[in-house]
Amino acid sequence: MTNQYDVVVIGSGVIGSSIAYHLSESKQKEILVIDKGFPLSGTSGSTQAWVWVHNKTPSWYGELSMYSAELYPFLERKIGDVEYKRTGGIAPFFNESDREKALRLAEKQAEVGIDIEVLNREQVLEKEPALSPTIAGATYSKIDGNVNPFRLVELYIKAAKRNGAEFSFYNPVIDIDKDNGNFTITTKEGVFYAKQLILAGGPWTKGLGELLGIDIPVKQVRGQIIVTEPLAPLIKHTIGGMRQADNGEILIGYSKEEVGYDRRTTLDVIQDTAKMAVDYLPDLARANIVRCFSGIRVMPHDGFPILGEIPEIDNAFIAVMHSGITLSPLVGTLMTELLTEGETSIDLKRLRFNRFNECNV
Amino acid sequence: MDKSTIVCRCEEINIDEIESAIKMGAHTFDDIKRITRCGMGPCQAKICTTLVQRIISEYTDKPLSDIGPSRMRMPLKLTRIGVLAGNKESSSVISVFSESASKEGETKND
Repeated sequence: MTNQYDVVVIGSGVIGSSIAYHLSESKQKEILVIDKGFPLSGTSGSTQAWVWVHNKTPSWYGELSMYSAELYPFLERKIGDVEYKRTGGIAPFFNESDREKALRLAEKQAEVGIDIEVLNREQVLEKEPALSPTIAGATYSKIDGNVNPFRLVELYIKAAKRNGAEFSFYNPVIDIDKDNGNFTITTKEGVFYAKQLILAGGPWTKGLGELLGIDIPVKQVRGQIIVTEPLAPLIKHTIGGMRQADNGEILIGYSKEEVGYDRRTTLDVIQDTAKMAVDYLPDLARANIVRCFSGIRVMPHDGFPILGEIPEIDNAFIAVMHSGITLSPLVGTLMTELLTEGETSIDLKRLRFNRFNECNV
Repeated sequence: MDKSTIVCRCEEINIDEIESAIKMGAHTFDDIKRITRCGMGPCQAKICTTLVQRIISEYTDKPLSDIGPSRMRMPLKLTRIGVLAGNKESSSVISVFSESASKEGETKND
């Protein structure tokens, strides 16, 4: 291992490893990825891993998610079977009064090419017979799906390694300095130098920003998830709130709490999650829970990805977002364009870090 | 023991798969769990914990006492969703008849 790299990526989650993989495809750059722990020990390993598009709003954000979902089949051909399934997504609603909102969503998303059907009760139950007959309807889109996050991150890393990228795990970054156009990254295992630096530490990016003397406008959000025992095929679609994995487990959860980096599961949220499970799918009352887990996710202050150059620090970049699983193929592609060509095929103006400064003026 | 010996019965993970994860850089039981699914099945690592700890110990030349178990997760034992959801019609106590009539496996041996 040398100490000098073209690009150092901090964070080997789904975003960091996707960037490393996509950058490594051209084999032009010496790449090192540094992680304080082992892959999948943070956010990327504690998610339901929906590839979810249809009710991401405003529509430009939905459009971005759609482009990323479209990349998944190609990604799978390049890096291997990540158990990506385009199941179609169903987001149920229980009040007839919500139909109006659903229709408005469908209208807005249609402007950017996302097809949404607003279904009535019978149509939903025809698609997904296990759903509760008390639902009033649902929005539905073919574009949504899910993926196995463990396979996804492992295969990103394996493919990147095959292309020559290097990885250093269990290696926390202690300090970052910039002089003579080079970054000096001091870690537990030694010092590395980089021409370009990418922060992709998810919720832990906040601490990395402090090393560079910048305040990264993100907060931490905890999500708790229930995993059932393997069940016979019960649901075919990705449902807003749950999905069934290839091995039959159903993952359920849709909670958001601001509790910093506390990763415990709590009985109250798990009970509410269980309630949601039964409200959606009455049959689940008889299913056994094998375990519960929670993950810390990152949430930029305005909810949208922060992607691109870090203002006032040349050659420093950031890629931090909620919905990293959905967006990772696109983010990897765009960051590669930005680092190798200096411009991207999709305009990143809305996602730039400096939008936060502009708001303050 | 043969490399193909099953260590995790729930997920059918053998010694070779665990060693591959260690070669990839996995240090702890939890690292191995996430790469292989070893210990993620219905028994929640109750069967494979010491076996995996022993493999890590042998492979890394660290004393067994330094190798921690995997992280324990609520609810530790299979629990019905209906119970947690507070549905009065279901409870952890089920009748002997329905117990013997259904094939629950894990739960009735406790």
